[in-house]
Amino acid sequence: MPTVEIAALGATRKLLGFSRRTVEMEKGTVADLLRAMPTVEGNNLYAHLVCEGKLRGDYAIVVDGLSLRADQLERPLSGGEQVVMMAILRHLHGG
Amino acid sequence: MNPATQSATNHGQWILSTCGMCLHGCGIRVLVNDGVALKIEGDPTNPDNLGKLCPKGNAGLGRLYDPNRILKPMKRTNPEKGPGVDPGWVEIEWEEAFEITARELGKIRAEDPRKLLCAIGDFQRILLWGWPAVFGSPNFFTSLGNYCGGSYHPVNGSVDGSFAAINDYDYCNYWIQIGSGDGFSSHLHVAGSTKRMADARMRGMKVVALDPRCSVAAAKADEWIPTLPGTDRAFVLGMAHVLVHELKRFDREFLRDRTNAPYLVKEDGYHLRDADGKAQVWDLRANVPAAWDAVPAEAMALEGSFGVNGTRVRTGFQVWKDILVDHTPERMAEITTVPAATIRRIAREFVEAAQIGATIELNGKTYPYRPAALNYYRGSQSHGNGLFDNLTYKLFNMLVGNLDIPGGHLGVPLDHRGFFISPGEDGMLKPEPHQLHPAPPFKYPADSTHLMEWFPIGFDAGQLNTETLLEPERFGLNYTPEAMLLYHSNPLWNLPETDKVEEIMRRMKFVVAIDIHLTESTQWADVFLPASTFLESTLLNCLEPPAVTGHAVRQPVVAPLGDTKDAYDILTELAERMGFLDDWNDLLNMVSGFIAKPQYLLDPGRRYSVDEYWDRVAKTIYGEERGLEWFKQHGHAVRYRTPEEAYMPYGNLRIPFYFEFILRTGAELREKMNQAGPVGWPLDNYRPLPFWKNSQVIEDGKRGYDFYAISFKEVLHTFADTVVMPWLTEVSEKDPIHQGILINRATAARLGIRTGQRIRLTSPGGSIEGDAQVVEGIHPQVLGVSNAISREFVPGIKKKGSHFNRLLTGSMKYTDSATGGLESTARVRLEAI
Repeated sequence: MPTVEIAALGATRKLLGFSRRTVEMEKGTVADLLRAMPTVEGNNLYAHLVCEGKLRGDYAIVVDGLSLRADQLERPLSGGEQVVMMAILRHLHGG
Repeated sequence: MNPATQSATNHGQWILSTCGMCLHGCGIRVLVNDGVALKIEGDPTNPDNLGKLCPKGNAGLGRLYDPNRILKPMKRTNPEKGPGVDPGWVEIEWEEAFEITARELGKIRAEDPRKLLCAIGDFQRILLWGWPAVFGSPNFFTSLGNYCGGSYHPVNGSVDGSFAAINDYDYCNYWIQIGSGDGFSSHLHVAGSTKRMADARMRGMKVVALDPRCSVAAAKADEWIPTLPGTDRAFVLGMAHVLVHELKRFDREFLRDRTNAPYLVKEDGYHLRDADGKAQVWDLRANVPAAWDAVPAEAMALEGSFGVNGTRVRTGFQVWKDILVDHTPERMAEITTVPAATIRRIAREFVEAAQIGATIELNGKTYPYRPAALNYYRGSQSHGNGLFDNLTYKLFNMLVGNLDIPGGHLGVPLDHRGFFISPGEDGMLKPEPHQLHPAPPFKYPADSTHLMEWFPIGFDAGQLNTETLLEPERFGLNYTPEAMLLYHSNPLWNLPETDKVEEIMRRMKFVVAIDIHLTESTQWADVFLPASTFLESTLLNCLEPPAVTGHAVRQPVVAPLGDTKDAYDILTELAERMGFLDDWNDLLNMVSGFIAKPQYLLDPGRRYSVDEYWDRVAKTIYGEERGLEWFKQHGHAVRYRTPEEAYMPYGNLRIPFYFEFILRTGAELREKMNQAGPVGWPLDNYRPLPFWKNSQVIEDGKRGYDFYAISFKEVLHTFADTVVMPWLTEVSEKDPIHQGILINRATAARLGIRTGQRIRLTSPGGSIEGDAQVVEGIHPQVLGVSNAISREFVPGIKKKGSHFNRLLTGSMKYTDSATGGLESTARVRLEAI
């Protein structure tokens, strides 16, 4: 079965309980992947990261180095992709 | 260009690295023999600085071997704190230093991490600026970056996705310089820039400098035009009036085809839009409004007022044209003291030099060619209406069509990633005012003590700390900071209202400093963690390069002296001891680009050395074959930017001339503040176009504060931490401009003041004293204070104590309400004492 390499950073790491994992999945979309990923408190990642069908603005998903727009959750995954998920840190202050 | 001739000395080994004496990091080579660094020169192989090096870089050994460096961790034994109070330092081992720090900061983190105030000022390691965010503190207790770039960076990012800006050294023929040392003494990569400026002058480029003081730039210019501080915008608005209303010479095609100047604006200030939400233009073929993408550019009206459904609409260009009607040279002359005839003459010279309509071929591609440009920096726009200052300078450049064009005014990216380019609305480039970090969402009360949540397009307004922390109830602040982390930052020096900063520091229960010296601020520390200098540490550097792109390595040329550590290692150790190493590594993963190359992601639970980290950064950007070891051998992977990278990198996307998004952002913020926010918070600068409006500094002049006071620096010193270096102060102490408070000769004669006489300057914010230094080269109404005499706690230097920032005020009255940019000029009374 095709696999996808998952890297979870920051808050998503804490939601999932792991930082790196290889996940088997049938052909599907990024949204399908999120639905298939259980969180430590018993829900799934889709419930946390998605609002009204779009990726929440305080999260980012990067597939093979390219960051998805909020409305790109139906991007297909065919296997072999590297997917990085993370919460955006707002107060990375600087000058 | 020929690189500078290098030394023939070969007693030892030359090691390639980058300078750390300012924020930019010119390439250097260091001669080392038997573990002793003997000499520093510019790296002739690095196209950034072409083997050149400024005095600060040349004096870098003085930082490494400074006898006043702190070389071992220390803790204070005297609980009493204050200026002149002996802390009772005792040296301790790193284990104890880390244990104390982790314990005290850990308590804060467990209670409420917002209680930590952070002052982090190492520009060459911006990645470390994220440490407070991972700790959980949103606070920014320093004016670093905002003092010069508070309005500058947001506007650059909003216009063309850049972070800084510079005129085109290679092709410009007429260079107007306003309040800046670019190419002469400071700002972007000064060593290489002075070479580029000199070469441009040799081929005949003319420089006109507008400055209150005869700076090095003004002294070397073809013409120096003295002006009052904070009025530079008026000069440029006057010139814009001349171009648009008198000469009627401006680049119509550029404005019509490459900006949103033709987009129609309603009377409420917002674009006219169709049912699909598309911005409208006036179609000259049919004399009706139509969607911007339904009309070929040549059929769009650039100027004009039109009736649509009983209301009046104007093009964005027409709106500014109408604003400029009363910005006549005569009116602007009253504001600036620059004669109207001079404003007209410079405007005419500029537009003639711009060669509107000309083209040039580069690398087989034809570009527009506009060899006239206006460059500007801190002195011209670090003021209470800094947004309007920056917008004015951009729009003036756009009038001759020179933005990001050969010969013209070019955006400079933050780093190797280049311009931040993505499509926005209506065929526009998406504005990117936040390039260092995303804007936090609005929140009331704010989490941050500098109210970053209330500046959706602004910068980190660290100066507001003096209001929020001493009057928290006015801002709804619902916690009280108790601890402070100082890392290469001196807030008691760099923030306005020194007395208030001191009061804030008195309230801290625990202060930890990561630094090299004792300073006005670090002397308040409970624990001092000594950092390695730039000659003992590692990183890859690429910050605001004006002509090149790529990275240069910084590597230890000698083993760290004493018992010092790299700041990366210090902060990583603290993160591990406080239990958030995983989050710290994840932040590094996000900001270092590892998410694009997941094979280099840091494992959250593992501690990485500074070398391991930078090796991954190098490989992420340059490939597996070019890790840290490659960089240590070769020094750099720096190259010139190609014409495609430097000129119009955003292709056919339009850039803003009319800034509707600023208007909209202000309206959205007002709505949120009306629902839940502080009463009376100023929002008056959220305007789509600039105009003349008096700042508080102008208003202070009506209350008997007759003079303007400015601070300045020249190439010998940056910030103020170079003042501790004898090689540099020995030179600066011979220069009259660094001997006292500058006062114009005629003014001094009128007031009976002579050189060496003690004088006092008093502003609405505070007062300073110093010795008068009578000079010719300063505007008669202006008093100048060099940063070389501004330190108050520095052993061994002769001139000190005229700390300019005591004259400044950090409140919103003196802050740009849209960007958070602070006011860097003060109105003062002058008295002999």
